[in-house]
Amino acid sequence: MKKTIQIPLGSQHISLLEPIRFKFECENETIIGVDADVGFVHRGVELACTRSFEFKQVGYVVARVCGLCAITHSLAYTLAAEKLLGYVANDRIKYLRMLMVELDRIHSHLLCLAHTAENAGFEALFMQIMGDRELVMEVQEAISGNRVQFDYICIGGVNRDLTSELCDLVRKNLMILSEKVEVLIGLFDNNWSLSLKYKGIGVLSLEDAYTYNALGPLARASGLATDVRAETSDFPYEALGYTMIVESTGDIHARNFVRLREIVNSIAMCRNIVDNLPMGEIQEKVKGKPKGEEIVRIEAPRGELFYLVRGNGANILERVRIKTPTFSGIPAMMEVFKGSQYADAPAILASFDPCMSCTAK
Amino acid sequence: MFKAMVEAFKNLFKPVRTINYPAQEISLPNGYRGLIEHDHEACIYCDKCEKVCPPGAILFYQHEEGGKEYHYNPWLCIYCGECVRACPKPDEALWQSETKQQSGVKEDGVNEGWFVWEEACKESREAYAAAKKERKPKMKSEEPLCVS
Amino acid sequence: MTKIETTLSTLLLDIGAFYKPKEWHFLTVNGIDLGEGKIELQWIFSKYGVKDEVVLYYALSDYETPVPSLVALIPSSTMGEREIVDMFGLTVEGAQKGLYLDKDSLPHPLRGDV
Repeated sequence: MKKTIQIPLGSQHISLLEPIRFKFECENETIIGVDADVGFVHRGVELACTRSFEFKQVGYVVARVCGLCAITHSLAYTLAAEKLLGYVANDRIKYLRMLMVELDRIHSHLLCLAHTAENAGFEALFMQIMGDRELVMEVQEAISGNRVQFDYICIGGVNRDLTSELCDLVRKNLMILSEKVEVLIGLFDNNWSLSLKYKGIGVLSLEDAYTYNALGPLARASGLATDVRAETSDFPYEALGYTMIVESTGDIHARNFVRLREIVNSIAMCRNIVDNLPMGEIQEKVKGKPKGEEIVRIEAPRGELFYLVRGNGANILERVRIKTPTFSGIPAMMEVFKGSQYADAPAILASFDPCMSCTAK
Repeated sequence: MFKAMVEAFKNLFKPVRTINYPAQEISLPNGYRGLIEHDHEACIYCDKCEKVCPPGAILFYQHEEGGKEYHYNPWLCIYCGECVRACPKPDEALWQSETKQQSGVKEDGVNEGWFVWEEACKESREAYAAAKKERKPKMKSEEPLCVS
Repeated sequence: MTKIETTLSTLLLDIGAFYKPKEWHFLTVNGIDLGEGKIELQWIFSKYGVKDEVVLYYALSDYETPVPSLVALIPSSTMGEREIVDMFGLTVEGAQKGLYLDKDSLPHPLRGDV
């Protein structure tokens, strides 16, 4: 007689935001084997970038890979293209780009926290966090002119300037938000029913994090100190008060805490950017055609985003390789599922913050 | 327990955080990226906007006598504003308004109608280029006749 | 970025001598179509805690030669390998088709001749 049962999760499931299918091999309630299918939303962006669009338009195409980290995608591509063209942006452009990326990180982390709370059965907290998230969305909409598709970064600069009224709006909204985040930290730390769902569940050990090349908040929660912001020198993060946040336990609680403390750190960095914005042009003309090969790594909210761009001096690029954070995090995620209870699977999955449209691109 | 009851009671009198959408207007921020608008008198028809547009939402129809006609698909447009930045006469010939595009319905022919225009514009270009070519050799063949 | 040339037959030895899990982060496997049936394969690593240190191993190959799998050394390379199987129609030991593509979709879309 067969001892195990197979239970699928997805491709459509109440706890999922996007289509992904997990096949769990269960022994009673314990998961002993996992198989994942991630390619439901494949759109062929890489092919489109090298066939249908010119290199100046590709920045707007790759922004459509993912709705949540649109700005990170267009920034990574733009940096790669600028390196190929031999252009270095001035400080004002760098600061404005960093501001948008950090605002993006705050709202993406808030979405993940809200979703983890919902999947642990805390519907009211989900609504509360999503309501607070509007503060950041409002700022981003005011700066870039659109709520989701920012289209803010272009080759040679940024498309819009930060006026003093916008600076005031950023300061005001972040002030309100930082108070709310303090309350959230208390809630996630002390609430008894949340701790039942989070503490000691879905543990990724440090050893496994190294073996499976975990990245982003998933790795930092296990104690693996890796962050692309500290491993690249494209942006002056250290000067703006960046600190790497590392937890040690590796469970859902630790991942939530990495995110919460990163929000606090990002808020402080955004304030520093707004207060110390250097003067300069926001857009400069860049001439030439991309030739050669360039690699760019950017810390997206979910981990490391990697772009490889190769051009041969023509208007259309030869290759654009996109490696998204969730894509390389999947082996580590499957490892976490093994040994945990089936009933915890939705909460564990939400705590990874998986982005399927990034993964399948 | 008592604290929770007090909290729940307070929530009854707090203002709601959502917007009652169809009844209440959504307020758009200043500088919202909306529809692209065009003035055919100020435009010099240089085609720069057509070339830079990422989704190809701007097309020019070439008339045989030489004039051009501007076509814009507001549902295909991604409102990035790249065309306005490429325009040699921004704010006069081409500018970005703050009006939000309404959802397209079947009657608008969002896709089908646009495909027809794409085809027509392409054909008009080719026909114009062919006509120009035809005219040129004629002129050349006329010239030697005049000399002799 | 350091680029190191290798061949498919010596790949496992090269990477086995180079890769230490606690020192290097494995990024991904990448393929670039060079046209005329040639393909360039790349294996990319970055170092933990050091600024801008990326090492890229590359090997030239064609569509038919089977590519050795790195799963025994680096378990997380399975995703990247499955992707190049789908996108370029290569054969990698132990990697099945169907990560992104369905049975009825265009085979190997990123090849130059498609």
